[in-house]
Amino acid sequence: MKETTTLKKSAQTDGLSRVDGRLKVTGAARYSAEFNIKGLTYGVLVGSTIAKGSIKSLDTKQAERAPGVLTVITHLNSPKVPGYQDGKPTGNGVFKIFYDNKIYFSGQPVALVVADSFERALFGASQVKAQYNQDNHQTNLRANVNTAKAPHGDGTYKRGTEDAWKTAPVKVEQEYIIPSDIHNPMELHAIIAQWDGDDKLTVWDKTQGVQDARDEIAQIFKLKKENVQVNSKFVGGAFGSALRTWPHEVAAIIAAKALNRPVKVVLSRADMFTSVGYRPHTWQKIGIGATADGKLVGITHEAIGQTSTYENFTEGTVGVSQSLYACPNVNTSYKLVALDVGVPTWMRGPGEATGAFALESALDELSYQLNIDPIELRMRNYAQTEPQGGKPFSSKYLDEAYKMGAEHIGWNDRSPKPGTVNENGWLVGYGMGGGMFGAYRDGATVKAIMMADGNLILQTAVSDIGPGTGTAMVSIASEMMGIPAEKIRFDMGESSLPQAPTQGGSSITASVGSAVYAVCKDLKEKFQQLIGNGGTDKPDYAQVLKQHNLAKLQVTSSAQGGDERKKYAMFSWSVHFVRVKVHPATGVIKIDKVACVADSGHIVSPKTARSQIIGGAIGGIGMALMEEVVFDHRYGRIVNNNFADYHVPVNADIPQIDALFVNKPDPYINPMGAKGMGEIALIGMASAVANAVYNATGKRVRDLPITPDKLITMDVELS
Amino acid sequence: MKQFQYTRAVSQQSTIDAIAKPGTKIIAGGTNLVDLMKRGVTAPDKLVDINNLPLKNITSTKTGLHIGALALNSVVSENSLVLQKQPLLSMALKAGASPQLRNMATVGGNMMQRTRCAYFFDVSMPCNKREPGTGCGAMGGYNRMHAIFGASEQCIAVHPSDMCVGLAALDATVIIAGKKGERRIQFIDFHRLPGDHPEQDNHLAMGEMIIGVDIPDNNFAKNSYYLKIRDRQSYAFALVSVAAALDISNGIIKQARLAMGGVAHKPWRLFDAEKALAGKAATEENFKQAAQIAMRDAKGYEYNSFKIKMAPAVIAEALKHAAGLV
Amino acid sequence: MEDTKHHTEPECEMEAKDNSRRNFIKQSTLLTAIALTPGTAVKAAGMHIDEKIAEAFEKMPLKMEVNGVAHNLSVEPRATLLDILREQLDLTGTKKGCDHGQCGACTVHVDGHRVNSCLTLGVMISGKKITTIEGLAKGDELHPMQEAFLKHDGFQCGYCTPGQIMSAVSCIREGHANSEMEIREYMSGNICRCGAYPNIVNAIQEVKEGGQPV
Ligand SMILES: Cc1cc2nc3c(=O)[nH]c(=O)nc-3n(C[C@H](O)[C@H](O)[C@H](O)COP(=O)(O)OP(=O)(O)OC[C@H]3O[C@@H](n4cnc5c(N)ncnc54)[C@H](O)[C@@H]3O)c2cc1C
Ligand code: FES
Ligand code: FES
Repeated sequence: MKETTTLKKSAQTDGLSRVDGRLKVTGAARYSAEFNIKGLTYGVLVGSTIAKGSIKSLDTKQAERAPGVLTVITHLNSPKVPGYQDGKPTGNGVFKIFYDNKIYFSGQPVALVVADSFERALFGASQVKAQYNQDNHQTNLRANVNTAKAPHGDGTYKRGTEDAWKTAPVKVEQEYIIPSDIHNPMELHAIIAQWDGDDKLTVWDKTQGVQDARDEIAQIFKLKKENVQVNSKFVGGAFGSALRTWPHEVAAIIAAKALNRPVKVVLSRADMFTSVGYRPHTWQKIGIGATADGKLVGITHEAIGQTSTYENFTEGTVGVSQSLYACPNVNTSYKLVALDVGVPTWMRGPGEATGAFALESALDELSYQLNIDPIELRMRNYAQTEPQGGKPFSSKYLDEAYKMGAEHIGWNDRSPKPGTVNENGWLVGYGMGGGMFGAYRDGATVKAIMMADGNLILQTAVSDIGPGTGTAMVSIASEMMGIPAEKIRFDMGESSLPQAPTQGGSSITASVGSAVYAVCKDLKEKFQQLIGNGGTDKPDYAQVLKQHNLAKLQVTSSAQGGDERKKYAMFSWSVHFVRVKVHPATGVIKIDKVACVADSGHIVSPKTARSQIIGGAIGGIGMALMEEVVFDHRYGRIVNNNFADYHVPVNADIPQIDALFVNKPDPYINPMGAKGMGEIALIGMASAVANAVYNATGKRVRDLPITPDKLITMDVELS
Repeated sequence: MKQFQYTRAVSQQSTIDAIAKPGTKIIAGGTNLVDLMKRGVTAPDKLVDINNLPLKNITSTKTGLHIGALALNSVVSENSLVLQKQPLLSMALKAGASPQLRNMATVGGNMMQRTRCAYFFDVSMPCNKREPGTGCGAMGGYNRMHAIFGASEQCIAVHPSDMCVGLAALDATVIIAGKKGERRIQFIDFHRLPGDHPEQDNHLAMGEMIIGVDIPDNNFAKNSYYLKIRDRQSYAFALVSVAAALDISNGIIKQARLAMGGVAHKPWRLFDAEKALAGKAATEENFKQAAQIAMRDAKGYEYNSFKIKMAPAVIAEALKHAAGLV
Repeated sequence: MEDTKHHTEPECEMEAKDNSRRNFIKQSTLLTAIALTPGTAVKAAGMHIDEKIAEAFEKMPLKMEVNGVAHNLSVEPRATLLDILREQLDLTGTKKGCDHGQCGACTVHVDGHRVNSCLTLGVMISGKKITTIEGLAKGDELHPMQEAFLKHDGFQCGYCTPGQIMSAVSCIREGHANSEMEIREYMSGNICRCGAYPNIVNAIQEVKEGGQPV
C-alpha cells in the first residue's frame, strides 16, 4: 500500500449506532432458519451413541411410518454426493455425512429424518433404531499423550539455545491445562436448502463466509459456482464455529435433492457440542527463566492438543511464546493427539488464547519469584522489534496500553503479597494478562452506487457475525464521502455480491474497510471527472447527478495488501486487568472490575468496537471461570452438552467493563490505520483472571476453569 | 416428543380420577415436564393441565401459612405474607432457576421436579432412576453434582430444588389429595432416599396430587438465610446450598433449623447440628462445630468429594448470615 | 390419544367449543367407522390410514391473541408456543437458543408476564394474550427499551436481543430494576454469548431512570 493517509476520528460517526440495529431490536432481522419458504420441510438429525465402530443395522421403518415423516436419509439410501469420491472420511473440507457405516465420534449423525413439521421430524428421529459394532474408543487426552504426534515436520521451533531457561537463576516450570470449550453462539447452526432443478441451489446458511461456503458446496456437489447461492444476512454469533462448512449443511442439501422440496435443518443445542467444532482441550508445559533483575533468559513451551482421528486440526498455540517478549532463547513444540471425537475448529483467539493462558500465567508466577511487579517485568522484556526475525512492528503501543489499563483498574492498590487483602471477609486480588494476534488483511471488492437521491449503496459478500461490520463500513464511507450514515446502505451476506473474505481472524475491517475506502475514493474521482476542475472534494452528489441527467453513478473497486507485510511485522495487542473478590471459605469468585486496553490501530467505529472488547473479555471470563466440556470416557460421550450444565457467563457474573483503546493509527497496514480486535479482546483474559485469583488467595489454578471446588480443596502456594 | 392427549382439568376430583390411569400426568408450569418429554425421558399418553384449579392461594391460617400447589414460584417469592413470615422461603425461591422460569414454575411442580443428573437426562446412558435395572451411570462416572448423603448403590442423584430446601428447614407439611381424600405428610418425609427404588423420588402415590403446603408460624423470620454455592452467580443449580433459620434471644440460640440442597436425593435436614446449636451462643465457633457434626455420615465419590469440604463451610457461612454476623 | 371413550369422559374434559367438539365427534365416528381398535393416531398412520384423519385427530384448536391479533389455530398438543410463533405464525423475532429453558432467547410475555416460550405448550395458553418482540413498538415508534438498546449498543449479533428486551421490559415492570446488582440478577435468565451484558444493564437503567412507561 502506498497510501498511508489515515482517517481522522470523526465526530459524525463517533457514536454511530448499529446500522442494522433497528432490525435487530424489533425482531425483523431474519437469521438462517427464519425464511418462510413455500413447501418447507424440517430435518432432524439422529446422532450416534457410540464413539467408535460401525453401524450394524439401522431400523428406520417406524420413523418412516410416523405421521408427517417424508423421508429418512442414512448411509444406506443417501443419494451419492458427487464430490465424495475416495474412501477417506473427509472430502473437500467436509466430513462425509451418510457416506458409509463408520463411526468416528459420539453424536456423529447417522440419519436425517425429514417431516412436514418440526414436531413430527423430532418424533420421527426418536423412532430411528440403530445398532452398532463397537470398537474401543479413546477420548481422553491425558491418557493418550504418549501417542502425540507433530502435525507437520517435527513441530518444533527454536531460537538461541534450547531449554536455556534451565540455566537462569530464577525459574518456573509448570503445566497448564485448558479443557475443550464450545463456541456456543446463541443462534443454533441452521440451514435451509432449496434446489431449482438439478444444477441450481440456494441455501440460507449460518456461515461466516458466504463465498467460501459457496465454493465448498459447489465442489462437494460438483456445481458451477455461479449456480450456488449462499445467503447469510444475519448471523447470530459464531466465534469461529461457522468458519467452515459442516456435515449438517451437506445433509440438508442431500435431503432437499432427494425430496425435491426445501429442507431446513437446525442443530439442537446438544448437536452444537459435537458437530460444529470447539476449542481443543490442550495440555501445555512452560519453562521460563530470568536473571535476578527480570531479564528473560529463555522460554520453553510445549503444547499437546486434541484433534479427531479423521481430520487434523492445528492452531498457533505456542506462537505467543515466540513473539510476545524479547527473549533470546526460545524453543517450542506442538503436537496433536488424535481421539475418537469430533474435529475441533478455530474459536475466538484460536491457539493464542490457549497459549497466552499458559505463558501469561507463567510470567505472573515468575514475577512473584523475582519480586518484580508483573507490568514492570513485562516492560523489562518489551519487544521493540519482532523477536523471531527482527522486523520492525508496523505499530506497537502495548506499553501505553499497560499504563492505561493499570491506571483504570487501580493497579497501585494491588498488594504484591498474595492473600493479604481482605475486604469484609472477601479476599481481593489484581491480575493482568496480555495478548497478541497477527493483524491480517485479505483482498476484497466493493461496489458503490450513488443513487439520484444522494443515497449511497455499498455491496460486498462479507457476513457479519456480530462485531458490526456494516456499521464500521458505513462509518468509513460516511467519513470518506462526507454524507451522513443514514444515507448509506450496506448490502452483504449474499454470495453473489462482489468478492469478500470470510469473517475470521479479526481481518474484516482491514480487508473490506480498505475496499470501501478504495471504492469511495474512486467514486469521488468519478464525480470529480463529471464536475471538472475546481469542484469540491465532497460535492452534493445528488445535484451533480441531476445536472448530468444521471440516474446513478457506480463503481467497483478492489483493494488488497501490498508488500508492506514483507517489511513489517503486524500485530494487534491487548492487555486485560482484573480485580477479583474471592470468598475463602466457599470458593466463590466474583469479578469485581475489569479494564481492557486494545492497541488496534485507529478505531473506525468506536461504539461497536467497545462492545467487541467487552464481549471478548466476557468470553475470557467464561473460559477462566466456568467453561468446560466434560466427557464420560467410558462412553466417549459428552455429559454436559447443554446450557444448564455447560456454563457460560450470565449477567450476574459480569461487572461494568472498561474498554479502552490506544487509538493510534497503524501507518502501514491499510489506509484507515485499523488493526483487528476480535481475537485480542479475548486472548490473555483467562490468565488475567487466574493471576488475580492467585493475588487474592495465593492459590494458583493451572487447569481451567477456576471453579469454587478447586479453590477450596487446594492449598495456598507460597512463593 | 410423542403425541399425547391434552385435557384441562375442571376439578380436583376429575384430576384425581384422571391420574389414576397409568400414562397420565399432571402438567402445571411445564418447565420440568416439557423439558423431559422433549428428551424422551418421560413420554406420557395424556396430560392433565391443572392450571385452572383454584390452588393458587397464599393465605394466613390460625397456625401458619398456607400456599396452594399452583402458586407460582415468582408470586410466592414476592408475596408479602411470605416475606413477612417466612423470608427464608422467598430467598430459596429467588435463588432458583430464572425470573422467566419462576413465572411458570409452581410450588407443586417444584416439589415434583426430577433430578438434573446427566445420566438421567441422556436416554442413551444407563440410569436406574429413568430405567430401573440399567445401572447407575453416575456412580462410576461424572458425579460432581451428586450426593454425599444417603445415596445407594442404585443411585447417587440429588434433588435439585432450592425451594424444597427452604420448606424442609421450615417444618412444612405437604397436603395431598387422592381417591381416599386428603392426607398430610411432613415435608421432610415427602421426598425419599433412593434405596433400591431410585425411580421413586417421593412418597406421592399413584393417583395422588399435591394441593398445597402449610408452614407453621415460627420465630425464625429475623434470623434466616439461604446460601447457594454454584458455578456461576445465577441461573445454575447448587453445588451445595444451605437454608439456615435461627431463633435467637439475647445472643443465645433457642432453636435452629438447617437443611441442605445439592447433597442428597432429598432436601437434607441437619437434625444433629440443629440440636447441637440449641442453647448455644450464636458465634462463629459454635456454627463451625455444628457444621462439622452435620458432616458425620458424608461419603464422597470421584468428582464430588469437594462437597465434604464445601458443605460445612457453607453451613457455617449461612448461619453467620442468619445470625447477622456478616 | 387413546380410545374414543375418553372424549366423552365427564370428569376431565377438553375445554372445547362446540365447533371442535363436533369435530371430535366426527373424527371419532370416522375412526369407529373404520373399526379402529383403541390406539393412537400414530398407529393410524402406521397402518396407512388416511393421513388427513390422523392429522386432524392429533390436532387441537388453539385461540390466542398475539400482539393484538386474534388467531384461531389448529395445533398438535406437543407444539410449543415458540415453534407455533416461529413456524406457524412466521413471527421469527422470538428466538430458539436451546429449546430447554436454559437461555431465555425465547422469552415472550403471556398476559404481561415473561416466560420461556420453548417450555410452554401452545395448548396451555389458550385464550391468553401474547406479546412478542414484534408487538413492542407502536408502529414506527420504538419502545423506549428498544431505543435504549440501540443507544447503549445492548447487543452484537442480535440473536439474544428480542429475549433480552422482553425480559428487560418485565424487569422494570416487576420492580426489579432498582440497582445495577438487582438488574444483573433479574436479567440472568437471558444468556448473551456475544457478551453485551454491561450495555444491557446500562440500557435498562436509563429507561428505568427516564421514568417512561414501559
Ligand atoms: C434451565 C432450568 C434451570 C433451573 N434451575 C433451578 C434451580 O436453580 N433451582 C430450582 O429449585 N429449580 C430449578 N429449575 C427447576 C424448576 O424449578 C422446576 O422445573 C419447576 O419448579 C417445576 O415446576 P412446574 O410447575 O413447571 O412443574 P411441571 O413441569 O409442570 O411438573 C413437574 C412434575 O410435577 C408434577 N406435578 C406438577 N404439579 C403437581 C401437583 N400439584 N401434584 C402432583 N404432581 C404435580 C408433574 O406431573 C411433573 O411430573 C430449573 C429448571 C430449568 C429448566
Ligand atoms: S430457547 Fe427457550 S430458554 Fe432457550
Ligand atoms: S447479541 Fe449475540 S448473543 Fe447477545
